[in-house]
Amino acid sequence: MNELLESLTRCVERGKVDIKSPYPPDLKGQDGADEFARKALDAGIPPQEILSNGLIIGMQRVGERFRNKEIFVPDVLMAAKAMAAAMAHLKPFFQSDALKHKGTIVIGTVLGDLHDIGKKLVSMVIEGAGWEVVDLGTDVSPEKFLKAVDEHPGCVVGLSALLTTTMVNMESTVKHVKAKHPNVKVIIGGAPVTEEFALKIGADGYSSDPQGAVEFLNSRCTTN
Amino acid sequence: MPESSSPDVVTFSPSVDTLGVDRDLVVADLGYRNGETPDMVRELVDELLPQLPSHVEIRCGFRILPSGSIDVAADSVTANGISFSMGPIIASQLKRSTSLALFVSTVGPQMERWSAQLMAEGDMMKGFLVDALASEVVERASVWLEQRVVDHVTPRGWKITNRYSPGYCDWAVSEQQKLFSLLPHQFCGITLTASSLMVPIKSLSGIIGLGPDVKRGAFQCSICELKDCYRRRDDPEPAKEKA
Ligand code: B12
Ligand code: SF4
Repeated sequence: MNELLESLTRCVERGKVDIKSPYPPDLKGQDGADEFARKALDAGIPPQEILSNGLIIGMQRVGERFRNKEIFVPDVLMAAKAMAAAMAHLKPFFQSDALKHKGTIVIGTVLGDLHDIGKKLVSMVIEGAGWEVVDLGTDVSPEKFLKAVDEHPGCVVGLSALLTTTMVNMESTVKHVKAKHPNVKVIIGGAPVTEEFALKIGADGYSSDPQGAVEFLNSRCTTN
Repeated sequence: MPESSSPDVVTFSPSVDTLGVDRDLVVADLGYRNGETPDMVRELVDELLPQLPSHVEIRCGFRILPSGSIDVAADSVTANGISFSMGPIIASQLKRSTSLALFVSTVGPQMERWSAQLMAEGDMMKGFLVDALASEVVERASVWLEQRVVDHVTPRGWKITNRYSPGYCDWAVSEQQKLFSLLPHQFCGITLTASSLMVPIKSLSGIIGLGPDVKRGAFQCSICELKDCYRRRDDPEPAKEKA
């Protein structure tokens, strides 16, 4: 595999943003995701390859290690930051169609719930897996979810809740969205949510962690 | 010093310095054990800790119910005519209680604004650490408040159980409505939404059993069902004021 892509993978996995970043200490003074992305483009590597064979692989390792409790939220945040630094170079190629997202997920914390961080974390890892994320924020009504689905044909929906009392609003959201878009897939998560609950309310997937959401998206929600 | 007191409703605004917020505990609650915390995380927490006083607005307080006004059954407790269905795990910890302290604590609304602002500015890491610090501060405030309950009831010859919160074990979060119905309106500046969410978010509520014969009993983590919780810890004040 191309050395530049391997370096990119490593930078994302280790959370090495750019040459100025002192973190992680053992890579101090070395190029980071920012520089390697530039170099990879200059070397003529197609943007899609940089994304798929470099960055996404790094983020996938991050998601897996987070799931295995080998690394923790701050490490994921650094990885996402490194990923973003590289993506800044790739963004223009989305316009020219040289680069495509795997799909779009519309995500939000359901009505009555104001918890944000878990959902943000899931969003970052999903984004790092090559998906476009439309984050609707917190306290999102079923109507607002539906409107976003209308605006993003073919999207997947992600719902988050942190309390059992707000988790019940996932059910009304699933019903509301599926009444108009029966084929839209919905994945749910959050501390009190279970697989059993997901089944009961007619959601298509559940995950207790971000990587599970990525696996669901990649295996059940891609057309190609 | 209590800030306001009707005989059995007491509120406090302790300064964050009195709570003993511990960097190592904050870091441990992020998941890192065995000294593997990145230096950067430790340094950032150290940088944020001194900024806490200008962002927290800690308020906490309790109401002590009249002696003999409660009735403890196998899986519920009736207090002032309101029946709390807390399930057998918590109810059994409260047996022999002759009264209850109903408590809340909060770090105030500013912390979540600070965290959200940092994140909106693109500093996810600091925003997240501020959020974690806020959780830690409200926990500490609750531990501190427990001791104030002890101070308050010791002259009566009472002891206290551990504290228990709606939403744990079999006690439904929706029972927050009952708990708040027994507290003054917007107690300590906290409002309860229709979905039983406390605003500000970084708030805690619960009850403590009181009486001459109660035991401190099980710490909440030790009876909690979330067996693989990353935040699980030992009793923060192990047997300090044990009966
Ligand atoms: C820290 C904490 C607190 C803190 C801060 C709360 C906050 N979030 O800001 C404090 C101390 C203030 C608190 C208070 C309370 N808490 Co609390 N708290 C927790 C704790 C320990 C961690 C929550 C957290 O921040 N996790 C870190 C973030 C990053 O994780 P996360 O949000 O869960 O998101 C992850 C996953 O869930 C998933 N995910 C999230 N969204 C989505 C979406 C999709 C689509 C997918 C696929 C995945 C996914 O991926 C994320 C990343 O891994 C949990 C227990 C636990 N281990 O989860 C209890 C917990 C959430 N709390 C609980 C309770 C009951 C309460 C209180 C009601 C107690 C009380 N009576 O005072 C209050 C409520 C506060 C309020 N405002 O109303 C219960 C809720 C269960 C229930 N019955 O509803 C929990 C689950 C504990 C338990 N024993 O059951 N709490
Ligand atoms: S184990 Fe239970 S009581 Fe302890 S921190 Fe985790 S959720 Fe809270």
